[in-house]
Amino acid sequence: MSDASPPPPPAEASPPPPPSTSGSPTDFLKGVVGKRVVVRLTSGVDYRGVLSCLDGYMNIALEQTEEHVNGTVTNRYGDAFIRGNNVLYISAAEAL
Amino acid sequence: MSGQSEIIDRVPKDESAPQQPEEEVALNTILPLEVIDKSIGQNIKILLTNDKEFHGTLVGFDDYVNVVLENVQEYDSDGPKGKIIKKMLLNGGLVAMLVPSIN
Amino acid sequence: MDTSSGIQEPFDLIRLSLSEKVFVKLRGDRELTGVLHAYDGHMNLILSDVEETIMLVEQVEGGPEGQTTVNVAKRKMNMLFVRGDGVILVSPPSRT
Repeated sequence: MSDASPPPPPAEASPPPPPSTSGSPTDFLKGVVGKRVVVRLTSGVDYRGVLSCLDGYMNIALEQTEEHVNGTVTNRYGDAFIRGNNVLYISAAEAL
Repeated sequence: MSGQSEIIDRVPKDESAPQQPEEEVALNTILPLEVIDKSIGQNIKILLTNDKEFHGTLVGFDDYVNVVLENVQEYDSDGPKGKIIKKMLLNGGLVAMLVPSIN
Repeated sequence: MDTSSGIQEPFDLIRLSLSEKVFVKLRGDRELTGVLHAYDGHMNLILSDVEETIMLVEQVEGGPEGQTTVNVAKRKMNMLFVRGDGVILVSPPSRT
């Protein structure tokens, strides 16, 4: 730590496992707010849209929302509030 | 009888001094999520309360066992489902078990 | 990074929909449209001038496995309380 440590290698060089605080659910969510996401419900229905915001219950506000059932668009909503208990997962629709 | 009480005695019931007891508990017991913490960066299987499973690299988790995963494949009773998902947050409310890979 | 709407948490979306006609998706293939009068943190709702749509998916009798018919039933109600745990999604009218 005392000597001038070289800058970290530019990724890909199999980084050591990060400490438990980074990569936490909160950090993930900070990274995806404002981005296009896929929200999968436990029923299997997907909602694709721009993540406006969410809260501690995983309640979600989405913009430009498309409802996908079995790969086909079944509905479109300008805004959508999704109650968090129905959420199975959130993933980024594009590379982060 | 005596062996069991010995363990219990070490865990202070008093919660008036919040920091001290926490430390002592940590010294004497291993918490389940501490074990999972060691699996960060490794492959893990997440088994849900229904028949679904998610296999991927564990990135992080919180006290609710909400889990962040990378390069995830979903499985149901019929086998793999859908494409690999680069990164996701899985809701802890449905998690039944976490199975770290042994290596 | 937020858009014009000024939504900071998901419930803001619902708050901004008070006195507006909203679309509500419920568990059990039920859908509601009606005017939102009140809500709480459980997503319990009070709606008026409600139309409920129920999708009844039935296996075709004597038909091959998986062949189903969808019957749509509709009914209207003046005033309605919706228990929050049945709510999957709430969508305000698009403000475009």
